[in-house]
Amino acid sequence: MKKMKGIGALSMGLAFLLAPASAIRADAASDKLTVVVTDEPKSLDPCDTDLSGNSRILHNNITEALVNLSPADGSVVPSLATSWRQVDELTWEFKLRDDVTFHDGKAFDANAVVAALKRAQDPALACEVGLATLKGVKFNAEAVSPTTLLIKTDIVEPILPNQMSAVDIGSPATPNDGKSRSPAGTGPYKLAAWTPGQSVDLVAYDGYWGDKPAIKNATIIWRAESAVRAAMVATGEAQIAYEIAPQDGTTEQDHAFPNAETSLLRIDAEIPPLNDQRVREALNLAIDRDGLVGTIFHQDAQKAMQAVPPSVFGFNPDIPVWMYDPEKAKSLLAAAKADGVPVDKEIVIYGRIGIYPNSSESLEAIQAMLADAGFNARLEMLETSPWLKKLLKPWDKERQPSILQTQIDNTEGDAVFTLPNRFTTDGNQSTIADAKLDAMIANASKATGDEREKLFEDAFSYIAVDAINIVPLFHMVTIARVAENVTYTPDVQAGNEIKLKSISYR
Amino acid sequence: MSFTYFLRRAAFAALALAALMTSAFFLVRLTGDPVNLYLPVDASDAAREAMRVRLGLDRSLPWQFLDWAGDMLSLDFGTSLWHNRPAMDVVLEALPNTLALGAIALTLAFIAAVIIGSIAAVNAGGWIDRAINVLSQAAASVPDFWLGLMGVLLFAVTLRILPTSGFGGPIYWILPVACLFARPFGTLVQIVRGSMIEALNATFVRTARAKGARGGRVTFVHALRNALLPAVTVTGDLAAQFAGGGGVVEVVFGFPGIGKLLIDGILKRDFAIVQASIFAVAVVIFFINILVDMLYASIDPRVRVE
Repeated sequence: MKKMKGIGALSMGLAFLLAPASAIRADAASDKLTVVVTDEPKSLDPCDTDLSGNSRILHNNITEALVNLSPADGSVVPSLATSWRQVDELTWEFKLRDDVTFHDGKAFDANAVVAALKRAQDPALACEVGLATLKGVKFNAEAVSPTTLLIKTDIVEPILPNQMSAVDIGSPATPNDGKSRSPAGTGPYKLAAWTPGQSVDLVAYDGYWGDKPAIKNATIIWRAESAVRAAMVATGEAQIAYEIAPQDGTTEQDHAFPNAETSLLRIDAEIPPLNDQRVREALNLAIDRDGLVGTIFHQDAQKAMQAVPPSVFGFNPDIPVWMYDPEKAKSLLAAAKADGVPVDKEIVIYGRIGIYPNSSESLEAIQAMLADAGFNARLEMLETSPWLKKLLKPWDKERQPSILQTQIDNTEGDAVFTLPNRFTTDGNQSTIADAKLDAMIANASKATGDEREKLFEDAFSYIAVDAINIVPLFHMVTIARVAENVTYTPDVQAGNEIKLKSISYR
Repeated sequence: MSFTYFLRRAAFAALALAALMTSAFFLVRLTGDPVNLYLPVDASDAAREAMRVRLGLDRSLPWQFLDWAGDMLSLDFGTSLWHNRPAMDVVLEALPNTLALGAIALTLAFIAAVIIGSIAAVNAGGWIDRAINVLSQAAASVPDFWLGLMGVLLFAVTLRILPTSGFGGPIYWILPVACLFARPFGTLVQIVRGSMIEALNATFVRTARAKGARGGRVTFVHALRNALLPAVTVTGDLAAQFAGGGGVVEVVFGFPGIGKLLIDGILKRDFAIVQASIFAVAVVIFFINILVDMLYASIDPRVRVE
């Protein structure tokens, strides 16, 4: 502590020398707002808005899509398109607004959408949206008139409007030979400056077609430390800070909101002893979810039974949550052992450092719970790159039995964005190869309306109750700290979108 | 210092740099494939393979190395995957910030350590010496990370006299400088104290005292000049460490320097950024070493830089 005094005295001395010159605590003017996030954005290209770092700055601030998803129920609502209908199985028609201009002066029309959609699917650009949301389908757009657009697909795409909510439309002047660092969109804000390593500045766009935002100047900055982000709101340096760790987010300014993420452990069901159903059930019964929530996980996190939260179309509300029953887990293991299943074999728990706040602590607790139930589990915390090697195929044939910590987000609002990759034989992250489940997911993906919902609900039930290849943990929340004099309610989309136009000072 | 000396040093440095860059090339590639990090997890295998081909990562390592070495010879460090710009441009934006931060912290630490270390040596064994000893040991061992967060809590949140973090006018430099100051200060106090005690007991100091030279003059002219050499050597080493950036401190304070850039580059498997940063830092370290040699010669005329 003596050291602290030494440094303290020195800093204090320097601080007093400089104090008169500093105006750091002055509250921001009523049309200025600073938001602090975790990471610098990557390209700021409209076609990379599947990345939350990019999307938070761009989506509905700088660039807009044809439609939006309602945060309340996931339904599709108008944005740059005013209406849409399915013309035939492979064709959708969109009617576009006629009063919209891009920030660079170009007019928004059907041709601009054609160009943006083409660009998003260009393999040379490796756009996030093309690789994730639009994956596996060819979308061909055609301008019938400046305000009428046809989008044709090579296979039936019952939720095409949902997919279009992810395709941000940049100006036709956006370069085609690389990612853009200076996006021009149609949104309420245009990019004023991007100072690499420091900040992105946005300024309200006078020619915006919709309601004018209250905040005229927004600055987005990034700090890696949760404690620092939280402190910035406390000192008035920022008005909104995202992803505050539960231990830093205990004031009245901290708001927890569901973030469309579900944390779970993926069981590698191919390798003994995890290929035995009883062992996988025992894994689930060994976890004291009530003991984890409110301690390591935020108290508002909801116990999960499936890989998507209730805001997703196809969520099944009727699957019962696993009970905590270590005794039953032990007896299931004993029964398996009696049948010759090698239940004493070491199982590795692969975790990812920082996948969510307290991710290491959560797995340390889970490892202890598994040990109590008689499992021989070893924890290995990995950095993102080696963790991805464990997440994505191909895997070693000679691998150890393992369970993998992961978190699945679904902001697109439909189960099809979660299931095929993770739970079908061909899925690049799937540890399950079950022809029956493959068929269930394929049929659900093609269906529409109530039938689609029912078929997806059945698929989730089959995964949770029959196949059991996951240990579902929680539907997660994110904590945002919001200054007292600011009106802002983060919703389920806030993980991917800072709705600047909805923010104002009290 | 003659020009031939400089050339000889430069030739050795070039050899060392070639070895360093070669090992950097192979080591960063051993840490894993950037493609998985850059594409969404839902991307297909075909998309992953296409990106590997585009980046040249599908070719065998020796071929990749030859290509890379050719580019290096023309000082082409490639494009950063994350920043989407030439890696050296990004590095050259960050490097001056780190050099300034390190130079301020180290200069302050050196001056403070010489004064405090000398006071301790003069009072060797007394309570002042013991107090300074405890203080400097603590300063040398406290983690930057903890010190940074405590500084934010105390000076930004509680006292509200400093900003929490960021980059800008002098006020933004105080907390990062204070954090980076602690460890070299602690280390140097110990070194100055030790070599001063030795110098104060040396024959020439006793002679000077016997001739009637006064205490202050003996301490700060005769003895200090001799006691400074080890401190300069260690400061040179510390400066070399600082050239690589106070990574943790830069991350905590969101300070756009080379340490933060390098850490981000490693975590994001941004090979071009990692390699360009290592290259730039190595060149800076070369010049720091030359500078330390020159300082050495000017403090102690017996040392000749040839």
